[in-house]
Amino acid sequence: MTSLLSIEWLKIRKYRTTWVILGLFAGLLTLLNYGIIHGFIRAGGNNINILSQSYAFPHVWDNICYYTSNLVLFPAILMIIFTTNEYQYRTNRQNIIDGWKRLQFFHAKWLMVLSLSILTTIIAFILGLAFGYAESGSFTGAMNNTVKLAYLFILCINYYSFALLLSVLVKRSGLTIGLFLLYCLLIEFILHMYFNYGLHNETLNLFLPLQCSDNLLPFPLAKMASQLVGLSAEPPAYQYILASCCWIIIYYIIGRIRLLKSDW
Amino acid sequence: MQNILTIQNISKSYGPVQALKNVSFEVPEGSVFGILGPNGSGKTTMLGIILDVLIANGGSYQWFGGIDPALARRQIGALLETPNFYHYMSAMDNLEIAAAVKQHGQNDRLRVLEKVNLIERKDSKFSTYSLGMKQRLAIAAALLGSPKVLVFDEPTNGLDPAGIAEISDLIRQLNKEGHTIIMASHLLDEVEKVCTHVAILKKGDLLLSGNVNEVLYSDDIIEVKALDNNILQQTLNSMPGIKNIRPDNNILQLMCEQSISPQNVNEYCISKGIVLSHLVLKKKSLETKFMELTNK
Repeated sequence: MTSLLSIEWLKIRKYRTTWVILGLFAGLLTLLNYGIIHGFIRAGGNNINILSQSYAFPHVWDNICYYTSNLVLFPAILMIIFTTNEYQYRTNRQNIIDGWKRLQFFHAKWLMVLSLSILTTIIAFILGLAFGYAESGSFTGAMNNTVKLAYLFILCINYYSFALLLSVLVKRSGLTIGLFLLYCLLIEFILHMYFNYGLHNETLNLFLPLQCSDNLLPFPLAKMASQLVGLSAEPPAYQYILASCCWIIIYYIIGRIRLLKSDW
Repeated sequence: MQNILTIQNISKSYGPVQALKNVSFEVPEGSVFGILGPNGSGKTTMLGIILDVLIANGGSYQWFGGIDPALARRQIGALLETPNFYHYMSAMDNLEIAAAVKQHGQNDRLRVLEKVNLIERKDSKFSTYSLGMKQRLAIAAALLGSPKVLVFDEPTNGLDPAGIAEISDLIRQLNKEGHTIIMASHLLDEVEKVCTHVAILKKGDLLLSGNVNEVLYSDDIIEVKALDNNILQQTLNSMPGIKNIRPDNNILQLMCEQSISPQNVNEYCISKGIVLSHLVLKKKSLETKFMELTNK
């Protein structure tokens, strides 16, 4: 397993795109949170700013993890590029010719999904500690509410493995990125809105591959807002976790079947 | 001699197109095995299947008597269709990945780059290479760790005449060192010079396979001419070892047994008092044979 991962590392360490995208992701995430704390980025008028939430421990985790979950599209696109590069350069074939089993190729990419998820969670953790400390003045209570980091981790695996599956099915980088963004930003958003406000049934979100993870990390004011507009009771977190895991397993199975059965 | 590779009844279709039809053959250890055929005859498909890049619709293959195919592939150096490398990395870095997957050959990188004359460009990015250099790097990658078996798909693709000669020499040299080489090609000249065994494919059918001298053996022809061809023909009719005489314009074509050389014919004619004005040994080229076979 470590040998698979070390070979994946060899593939990406000198790939500039890797570092540009990861840098942008970490930089923008820091900037976004910094801007919100200091009021450069605001939403609302007349001295009302709904973004102005507490960044003290333990609330900081709600904020950081929510904003990170909005920016995971960057690493997800990186995952797509890593995978479709192999098809473009036909190095997927070469890896097999040189002696990998097809499943080893697939599992190496899954290890990349896990690694990127861990990295994303670590970035969120560091930012949370830094902003929380700046706000609270101490680390008291810093470890409360860190379950949100676990939610974030699951969400990352869901997004990145979804990106991996799409890459394996579509193979072409531009088309894959286009379809991925179209699905994330538009199709699922429309369905989500329809389920919540058209059908008034939040439970249906469990059946949306990415939204079921998004619901683990709602906008910090969302709970209050949904109570105000009188939405139906939301399913408990463990159901979203279960649904996310089911989707991740489904991606794995579809990708595995596809790679084992098709010509490369 | 043990077989390096055994192929049994392999079939493969792409939709309605049948690329391979029940192809079976064996590759003996120590041979230079040429897979020949016109464009689109299924050569690359065959190699793709035995390297697990393509999946056959039927049939089976065994490397080294049936060991795990992935394990077998690590002992095989292969170049399939195009050179496949990460464009943003140097030759050395690309070979590092290949060696890591093969689990051997990490210290062999400079040697193989030297062998294909790429040592000066070892740190240049793959994307800056010319077509011929990319092909050389692919051959270098195949040579990593001196594998027992080498599989080359059109190895001289994109090379200049000097490069083609170098690769032909390299293949012969590798074979002499004991490597078995499986090579697909439509360049008959290339094959004629280096192959010990061949399999000929046409539109997915295996026409024949085996030792070059057996399957592609053809009689040599001796052409003769004298002042009076009629007397010459009568005289030669009684010469032992001549199987058939065919007049062609004002020349006689003699189909002889292998033991008969032009010198024998000349001596025989002189002893019968006939002076030859034309005496030529004509070898049937692989190309003629190949055209005969594939145009049937």
